[in-house]
Amino acid sequence: MTRFIVIRLLMIIPIMLGVSFFVFILAHLAPGDVTTTLTGPYATEEVREQLRETLGLNLPLPVQYGRWLGQMLQGEFGTSIANRRMVSELIFPKFASSAILALTSAALAYTIGLLVGIFAAARPYRSFDRISLAVTLMFGSMPPYWLGLLLVLLFSLTWRWLPATGMTKIIDGGGAVDVLAHLVLPTIAAAAAPAAIIARTVRATMLEILNQNYIKVARAKGIRRNVILRKHALRNALPPIATICGLQLGYLLGGVLFVEVIFAWPGIGYQLWQAIQARDIPTIQGASLIVAIAFVLVNLAVDVFNAYTDPKIRISEGARAR
Amino acid sequence: MLNYIKKFAVLGAATAAGATIGLGSFDAKPAHAGGTLVWAIPAAMSLFDPPQSCGWLTKNATHMIFDGLVELELGKPEAPWAVLKPALAESWTVSDDGLVYTFNLRKGVKFHDGTPFDATVAKWNYDRFQDPTAPQFSKTGAAFLDFYARWIAKTEVVDANTFRVTLKEPNYEWLQVGQSSCGQPEMISPAAFAKWGEKDIALHPVGTGPFKFVEREIDVKVVLERNDDYYGTPAKLDRLIFRQITDPATRIAALRAGEVNMVTEPPWDEIENLVGEGFQLQLQPNVPSVWYAQFNMKSPAVKDVRVRKAINMAIDREGVAKEVLKGTGKAEAGILSAGTFAYDANLKRYPYDPEGAKKLLKEAGYENGLEVTFDIFDYGWNEAWEKWLQRDLKKVGVDVKLNKLEWMTYLGKWLQGMPEDVAMDSMGWGWSVPYWTAHATRCDHHPPNGINGGWYCNKKVDELYAQAIKTQDHAKAAAFYREADRIIMEEDVAFLPVFSYHNPILLAANVKGFVNGQENWYDFTLPSVE
Repeated sequence: MTRFIVIRLLMIIPIMLGVSFFVFILAHLAPGDVTTTLTGPYATEEVREQLRETLGLNLPLPVQYGRWLGQMLQGEFGTSIANRRMVSELIFPKFASSAILALTSAALAYTIGLLVGIFAAARPYRSFDRISLAVTLMFGSMPPYWLGLLLVLLFSLTWRWLPATGMTKIIDGGGAVDVLAHLVLPTIAAAAAPAAIIARTVRATMLEILNQNYIKVARAKGIRRNVILRKHALRNALPPIATICGLQLGYLLGGVLFVEVIFAWPGIGYQLWQAIQARDIPTIQGASLIVAIAFVLVNLAVDVFNAYTDPKIRISEGARAR
Repeated sequence: MLNYIKKFAVLGAATAAGATIGLGSFDAKPAHAGGTLVWAIPAAMSLFDPPQSCGWLTKNATHMIFDGLVELELGKPEAPWAVLKPALAESWTVSDDGLVYTFNLRKGVKFHDGTPFDATVAKWNYDRFQDPTAPQFSKTGAAFLDFYARWIAKTEVVDANTFRVTLKEPNYEWLQVGQSSCGQPEMISPAAFAKWGEKDIALHPVGTGPFKFVEREIDVKVVLERNDDYYGTPAKLDRLIFRQITDPATRIAALRAGEVNMVTEPPWDEIENLVGEGFQLQLQPNVPSVWYAQFNMKSPAVKDVRVRKAINMAIDREGVAKEVLKGTGKAEAGILSAGTFAYDANLKRYPYDPEGAKKLLKEAGYENGLEVTFDIFDYGWNEAWEKWLQRDLKKVGVDVKLNKLEWMTYLGKWLQGMPEDVAMDSMGWGWSVPYWTAHATRCDHHPPNGINGGWYCNKKVDELYAQAIKTQDHAKAAAFYREADRIIMEEDVAFLPVFSYHNPILLAANVKGFVNGQENWYDFTLPSVE
């Protein structure tokens, strides 16, 4: 298992290189020049060129990329061009905010998705299954910004139970209770679609497994349904369920941009969007990289989990590694 | 939907008192007697270093932290335009030839870090953006303030409390030209600069203003607190918080939920409902900016003046003001903006006349139609009026291709001037002095030397501007500007002015004393929150 994890960790390096390279190229291909906002409408081309030189933006792209990579290897994300802050100062708190929202949303989505999926598969084509199919289809198709606005309208403006925006109160805010109160609505808005996707995946996977011959044998032997579901069906269904759960968590960690915008949640997705608008390349690079690392690590965790729960995967990966 | 929102809001207000679940109050209650004003700002702010600061939103924070020699009087909303009032200079004189400005500085003023302010400090700050040999010279600051610094011949310390600026040529508007938002000649603490340097000074703003900088969380919030040692009348507010909320619906939700108590750029359709719910609406008809399209004199599509005239005649500007802006703007037919001494509020020009427009287009040889490209930018709401233009022009046979660009892309393109394949582009801008029109139209302001991206040039107009800034009498100077505007709009037809915007601001009922002044930034020493 250790060997398997080490190999997967090493594979992160080329993935990160690829991600950072593509982000770098895309950021440079986008039209617009950051020096226009940094020097204003009256600046001469000479002043702009001087600034490009100071910022290293006039260097050939491979050299710029090499410099950035060199910085990264020393653990430095560089300085934001637009804000003059260290990129790490900007993105780590925002990533932490996104992670809080992502983890609570994922927890909610997993709980609802697994419970609904399993119960629906346990009694297929009965009323709970049919209702859950319809409801999950509705939530899966519902844009998070629309659901977010609806939640705000009901819970913040009509009943005044929960705050509408932000991560803490803007005046004298802070503390766990304050953050929890602010978390509720964005968590529901962000979790709705993943919960629906997970529920439908769990249902489909479980149904497929429940039709396998070994399940029929187990039933014929008189084993109780709960035991069949828990010990025989669910365990075998875990790898695809874990994979979809991991993917959903990865997306959530990347910042649920619409949810962040609707709830003014200070997350990494919103920060990245602002950086793109400002053509703040170091911040774009740093934010993209941290999101990519989170995504890859979550998927690695899923792979490890799958290998742990499914010996077939562990053996085949081990054989390939040899 | 809006009716539902209103009903829900009323229901919410009725049940708010009883409906709590123990998660704590989230209303924006004032911490102390003066209270805290929380303004939901619609976009990001730029750097907090006055010469390098740019933008209306940023100026709202910087002009509260920093002071210039003079500032605009923004506490008298009924005045047709804002005039200068003393700030760090308690008085000033202009020589009869209009060349020498002498400032009598206030005594005993200190920066927030305790550094004393005097004439040496004033010169140090001015040299930072106009003397390339000064060690503190800022290239980017000088670039931003070029419109102001290009007039300066020299700066002098006459004595500890007297600072003098000599111009290269007479310009009676020069001092007020400095009251712009993109590049601000306001004073920073030299001690803070010595500590932090050019690179980091914007992260540690230290001025003499009525508010002190407390913290800035990029793209989230900026917090200022009252400066109790301010030399002028201290602010009433204890704290002023700018909270960035880019989505209009979210801004309104935050206002309704009591999480912010001031909102600008509200969705126009919501204004009536919000007023009905008890929020205060403030409009300002004399904001010095006009929203317009500039014609490209190099574009084959609009090179015929009859075409440009026809386009002006084809637009139902009153319709834009009434139907699109819902009464938050006024139709305009000149590029001299309101809020300046040269503005003529009664000017009637280019009434809506689609038949006349068709006739002119036919004369110009376009009876079978014409296609033009119109570059526009994403500002959240401006596409609404640009689509109105597109619809109106379609009625007279002009097919408009709206080329919408994201702001940074647009700005880069706009600053380079229009290429031949673009017939017109859009902008909303102005200053509190009419000389802004010279910036947009002078022959020597073609890119890259200025913002005249439509390549307009008329020496007669330039001469009128030259005379206007040498004229101290506003009435006489206004006559020069109005003649320039007449030539630009009636003879050359270089622009398509559409409307002026009245900056609707919505305030919670507990905000008292706020004044929506004749600018896009406000005097936050005036309001309090109960």
